[in-house]
Amino acid sequence: MDMVVDDVLTELEFSGYSTTSTTTTTVTTDDEYGCTWNDWSPVVDWDELSGPHDDFHDLIELMIDDNSTAAYHHHVGNAEAAEEDAPEMGVAAAEDSKGLRLVHLLMAAAEALTGATKSRELARVILVRLKELVSPHDGTNMERLAAHFTEGLQGLLEGAGGGHNKHMLGTGSHHHHHHHDDHHQTDVIAAFQLLQDMSPYVKFGHFTANQAILEAVTHDRRVHIVDYDIMEGIQWASLMQALVSRKDGPPAPHLRITAVSRGGSGRRFIGTVQETGRRLTAFAASIGQPFSFHQCKLDSDETFRPSALKLVRGEALVFNCMLHLPHFNYRAPESVASFLCGAKALNSRLVTLVEEEVGPTGDGGFMGQFMDSLHHYSAVYDSLEAGFPMQGRARALVERVFLGPRIFGALARIYLARGDEERHSWGEWLAVSGFRPLSVSFANHCQAKLLLGLFNDGYRVEELANNRLVLGWKSRRLLSASIWTSPDCDFFN
Amino acid sequence: MFQSKKVGVNMNSHDRGGNGMSCVQGDSGLVLTTDPKPRLRWTVELHDRFVDAVAQLGGPDKATPKTIMRVMGVKGLTLYHLKSHLQKFRLGKQPHKEFNDHSSKDGEIRGLDLQRNTASSSGIMGRSMNDCNVHFTDAIRMQMEVQRRFHEQLEVQRHLQLRIEAQGKYMQTILEKACQTLAADHHNNMPSASASGGSYNKLNQGQGRVADINLGSTSMKDFGHHELNFPSLQDLNIYGGGDQQQLNMDRSSPSPVVDHHQHSHGGSFNIPLNNSESHVMGVKKRPNPYGSGKNPTSLMMWSDDLRLQDLGTSSTSQDHHHHHHHDSDHPAANSMSEIYETKPNLSGDHATETSTTASDLNNKLERPSPRRAPLLSAHDHRVKNPLVVMHTAGANPMPQARNSPFR
Repeated sequence: MDMVVDDVLTELEFSGYSTTSTTTTTVTTDDEYGCTWNDWSPVVDWDELSGPHDDFHDLIELMIDDNSTAAYHHHVGNAEAAEEDAPEMGVAAAEDSKGLRLVHLLMAAAEALTGATKSRELARVILVRLKELVSPHDGTNMERLAAHFTEGLQGLLEGAGGGHNKHMLGTGSHHHHHHHDDHHQTDVIAAFQLLQDMSPYVKFGHFTANQAILEAVTHDRRVHIVDYDIMEGIQWASLMQALVSRKDGPPAPHLRITAVSRGGSGRRFIGTVQETGRRLTAFAASIGQPFSFHQCKLDSDETFRPSALKLVRGEALVFNCMLHLPHFNYRAPESVASFLCGAKALNSRLVTLVEEEVGPTGDGGFMGQFMDSLHHYSAVYDSLEAGFPMQGRARALVERVFLGPRIFGALARIYLARGDEERHSWGEWLAVSGFRPLSVSFANHCQAKLLLGLFNDGYRVEELANNRLVLGWKSRRLLSASIWTSPDCDFFN
Repeated sequence: MFQSKKVGVNMNSHDRGGNGMSCVQGDSGLVLTTDPKPRLRWTVELHDRFVDAVAQLGGPDKATPKTIMRVMGVKGLTLYHLKSHLQKFRLGKQPHKEFNDHSSKDGEIRGLDLQRNTASSSGIMGRSMNDCNVHFTDAIRMQMEVQRRFHEQLEVQRHLQLRIEAQGKYMQTILEKACQTLAADHHNNMPSASASGGSYNKLNQGQGRVADINLGSTSMKDFGHHELNFPSLQDLNIYGGGDQQQLNMDRSSPSPVVDHHQHSHGGSFNIPLNNSESHVMGVKKRPNPYGSGKNPTSLMMWSDDLRLQDLGTSSTSQDHHHHHHHDSDHPAANSMSEIYETKPNLSGDHATETSTTASDLNNKLERPSPRRAPLLSAHDHRVKNPLVVMHTAGANPMPQARNSPFR
């Protein structure tokens, strides 16, 4: 990973800091570079870039101006005049067209950052213009979404020069904080509560995993769960409740949870892992669940070492890996891989994985994944809006606290991985590594359907590949919860 | 005789009915079906061996599928078969015994009873038992299957309910801690913060378990925690600025807010989660697992407050006159209030009507307090705007959130 970053740095430094003259000489029509720029953003006529630096602003104006499609003028005045036609359009149409403009601008900026016709200056200018148009707090869904993407791209732009990208990946929210005031803890709590109430994302992942765990340990007296990212531990509240009240099998089995903790400045959700442990212990005591809590530290590079775990003979081992909302950060792939490898090494009986569902990106490279990411998050925004159209500020808060950092991290990750072969999902990784899929039970599927029924109609759950439940919004798949067992574990034969 | 056996065993087997079921006897003496998914038919003999094995091992609770398998020593019997049979056995031990003990005739009658109870097609009832036993049992089997699925779904629903509730309770502990932390912080900053005006009364507004967080040290004692002031709560303002009296922090409803609104607006739930209502509205009937009768922070019961305030609790009225606060400064609080004031657009149908009700409510209450105070930036605020402000009735407790983090 370090190597990649270095390459990126060199690449960018040499091409990014260009004077106007350099820019003009490097920019040509698509033919020469085989660039499909115009396919992405038909409103930009790259030929126009051959002018002096100032013309960038004119060009931006042109891009904004949706009305004059054919004629490109060089005069700002013309552009402005054309823009005045906008109010005549219907509001919805205007919004749509504005949304479209925003998308085009985002695409333009993304392309400017990474495409063949790379220009940091252009990217910077576009982002400035974008920032004028959008705000993370008000406006339509598209506008707020665009605001977060703009920040993400801005981060890439700045990071690109200073090698911050890897940093952004791991502690994306920290970087994010440089731009915004720190998320006050109560902000975070409020947003978390809202997120849970407004959408099924959190519960879907937790409940599906928990149901699978329950089914796998029905006859066990000791259960040991290793949690990759426990955050504040809310997933385990419902598991404990279910364990305490289970009818078959030994009653009230002893539950042990080992939380993987990270040193350093990882983002703290509401508190430290220790606090989470205390909270869980207290909760368990309150419902009469035998419980103990442990921590397991990751190495400094966030690698998981199975030897750091304390195991007890005869316990059912479960590895729990939650990578979706409301977890903030994208974890470095190596770290996740080391965790899952640990599961294999220890012959874990069950591995529960919840991750974002990636769309088919094919060979889109950065742009393809960027667009996919845009679609993904716009579906999430839509899902929140559909359920709560009147509560714009609530949604804006959730978006700001949770989705913004995720978008930020997503972009950083895509950026860093561009040029690599097609990215895979962790489910695919598990399959390839020899883990065996476990089928989703009727009860689990039923529970997911019932859960979604509490929310908007637009959510749907599909059962794919026999061991996965995928939560989607309308036609877009968003979250995938899958269950696996270690290659050598013979419990489920 | 054969038929009666079928009936008796079917009650407990996990055969999935279906047409054209026939049985073959395998080499191991197991009876397997020939329908597309071969399933093990638990004949009486097999079951007896099972029961023996379980008894040998010390009962259904002590026995495990692995050990049973070993003891029974039947070839072809897998852990999967045993697991589910054991589970059924544990659950339905008694009824099964009855089937085994009775004669064939009774077995059929039992089937009939069950069928009656499950409101099955009446046509079957009319047939004579002697003539149509085969069809009869098939029908019973299918009926059982349907019923089983249905019961399973109800079970799932019930469990889901409990799990959501558990999550809600846990969320509450988080909120509690957060309150305490903030209070502690604030306490350090503002030692003079007094308890009086800002205290939340423990008004039981008919919610059963409506609990308030009281600002004053005295009330904190009641709260059962410690004698901290919670001035931060003002800022936290989950409960709104001036209306401390009304700020009943009810127990956080574990079900999604949608439940709440559904309930209050006559509900358009798909699922008949009957329990949800009882615990949505402040979890009326559930005991507080935390021992104290008060539950702190609920981010959830806004509209409740509004509605109840509407009913004219006197203390509210005066407080409602201040604070026409700029929502813009406090997006978080407003978000919270927003979400709980209007019904979420679940089905898409009710948006308009509810928004009008909500706005009516709002107008009536003159932009009630939940909208008012900022959810955070407690620290900055408090330093600038001492609690005193909050306590004086009529004063705008949430002055200018200059340093609001939202800006």
